[in-house]
Amino acid sequence: MRLLVVEDDPLIARSLNQALTPLGNTVEGFTRYAEASAALRHDRFDLILLDLGLPDGDGLTLLGELRERGDTTPVLILTARDGIDDRVRGLDLGADDYLAKPFSLAELEARVRALLRRSQQRTDNRLSLGALCFDSTSGVATLNGEALDLPRREVRLLEGLLLHAGSITPREMLENRLFGFGDVGSNALEVYISRLRKRLQGSGLRIRTFRGLGYRLEEEPR
Amino acid sequence: MIEVDGTLKSRLAVWLLVTVSALGALLLIEAYLSSQRAAERAYDSQLEAAALTIAEAVQWQEGKPVVEIPAAALQILATRHQERVFYAVLDADGKRVSANLDFPIQADWRQQVDEHPVWTDADNLGAGWRLHGREFDSAGWETQDPVQIWVGHTLAGRQALTWELFERAVTRFLVMVLVAGLLMLLAMRVALNPMRQLRQLLRQREADDMRPFDARVPEELRELAETLDTLFAHQRESRDALLRFTADASHQLKTPLAGLQSTSELALKSHQPDEWRRALVEVHDGAERTSRLASQLLSLARLRHVVDGSEMSRLDLGALLRETLFDWAGRDVAQDHDLGLAELPDTPLYIHGEPWALRELLGNLIDNALRYTPPGSMITLGLVRHGDEVELFIEDDGPGVAPEVLARLHHPFERGGRQDTHGSGLGLAIVDSIARRHDARLNVAPHTPCGLRVSLYFPLSR
Repeated sequence: MRLLVVEDDPLIARSLNQALTPLGNTVEGFTRYAEASAALRHDRFDLILLDLGLPDGDGLTLLGELRERGDTTPVLILTARDGIDDRVRGLDLGADDYLAKPFSLAELEARVRALLRRSQQRTDNRLSLGALCFDSTSGVATLNGEALDLPRREVRLLEGLLLHAGSITPREMLENRLFGFGDVGSNALEVYISRLRKRLQGSGLRIRTFRGLGYRLEEEPR
Repeated sequence: MIEVDGTLKSRLAVWLLVTVSALGALLLIEAYLSSQRAAERAYDSQLEAAALTIAEAVQWQEGKPVVEIPAAALQILATRHQERVFYAVLDADGKRVSANLDFPIQADWRQQVDEHPVWTDADNLGAGWRLHGREFDSAGWETQDPVQIWVGHTLAGRQALTWELFERAVTRFLVMVLVAGLLMLLAMRVALNPMRQLRQLLRQREADDMRPFDARVPEELRELAETLDTLFAHQRESRDALLRFTADASHQLKTPLAGLQSTSELALKSHQPDEWRRALVEVHDGAERTSRLASQLLSLARLRHVVDGSEMSRLDLGALLRETLFDWAGRDVAQDHDLGLAELPDTPLYIHGEPWALRELLGNLIDNALRYTPPGSMITLGLVRHGDEVELFIEDDGPGVAPEVLARLHHPFERGGRQDTHGSGLGLAIVDSIARRHDARLNVAPHTPCGLRVSLYFPLSR
């Protein structure tokens, strides 16, 4: 995995480098718009961390150039501007995620992991989190390499959760996946969730409930 | 937006012009008529003089009148305007004794002349004429038959005199208008002078000079000057508030920075890795606290700065709440709490608001709840409709706040008597500012059986 960090503040650049290298990545850093732009034209990266306020240009312009060339490399925007307009503009231009400074490194790592996972899924059609793996073409889920024998609705539920792995899957979305758009009882979904929870026990994965919002498939903290 | 709508001078000038033109037209008509009257009078008396001169020349020979027209009479009749003249002397039977033109004298004129001298207008030989006739008794002669003398001339002389008199009147009038106009201009300059002085006073002011005016102004400008004074007073107040706020803010920022400084200084002096670690943890917390404080100060500044409400739009409060809560529930800081959404009403609830400000408001409410309640606490947000209002609430089952502190909880830097958390006391102040921008009421009340319930009542948009 090759990561590109475009950040002009040396302190932040250094801590990004230190935090991301242990994830098994090579991290290249640039402090200028011009250098980064040149590097992006010649090289391929798996993820770009982009600061918006560069001394010789706007990071959003760089993002625009990239997407105009048809380059779909995931981009995570880092910025001290936390105005919602910038956020919307960045996402409109094709940024994949947005993190406002100051951020905690743990939060950054989680976002980077999620982005890398998503970009991987795009290439091999496999959804995975921890020991859990799901092949969306064959519809087979495996846990620690062993195939799970799941009823149809649980397969759909698992796929829905894995698609959003690391973030909250809205309850309505899961209900539509499982039961179509018809009216369902408020705890019908809860029944399937608890079944799936039982299957995942001891796997290092858990399903966390967010009251009124949805569910999140996540790795249990060690 | 200042739009220039003409000048005061041009407005005054237009009114003046309209008045002067209307009055001037009337005056000119009057001047023409009186010139005409004067010319008539002058020439009529000339006709009379000519008639009298002729009368003196009438002789009687054998009871019949004979007349040798005197040259003086003709001179009187003929003005210098190339006029045609007419005279006739008629005897008692109306027969012409002497005449220079065959001017028909009508019978009724002759009868009138019996009684008194006659002036009349008539047309003859393709021109207008003025005629005068009078009768003379041949007193002292043997016969008593009166003779009638008729004289007349064309109108060129009269018209010329009328025009001459009229022209003089017009010239006098124009000179008067010109002089009055110049005086008016002068008067306007003098009258508008206080305005110019006010302008200069304003221009000379320093940007931060907010003192009340010290100027002499006429009554008409008093209101303007007072309004400006009020404006200055508002500016002064808001500047003072800003200065107070900046002072508070820098004090608030200095405190954690001082902590950072002393902690790192002590750690640098120490040789114990344990000490370093402890110091680093403190430095990390301090940095987090400081940056949060900075971003809150920024929101407050933005709230105070953006006043025109140009970003207001009609929005679904439920959708905004859901979206914001999704964002917050996924964050690291929320992982130790049970942050949830109560079931929303079935129909969307629309309010008129600014999305960024409302997100900021929700963020501060959630952040406060996470910060001031112990891990594991249940925090619930939701919407309740009350008539044409919607209540946005956030409630927790934490320790709550002492009743005497509740009322001043939304003051900046008030932390509800808590010093044990990393809060700045700005959260509810921001919430309060945003609520006021949206005409919403803020209510903080204890939640039963324990905890706090913060409610905002927004007017629903139709």
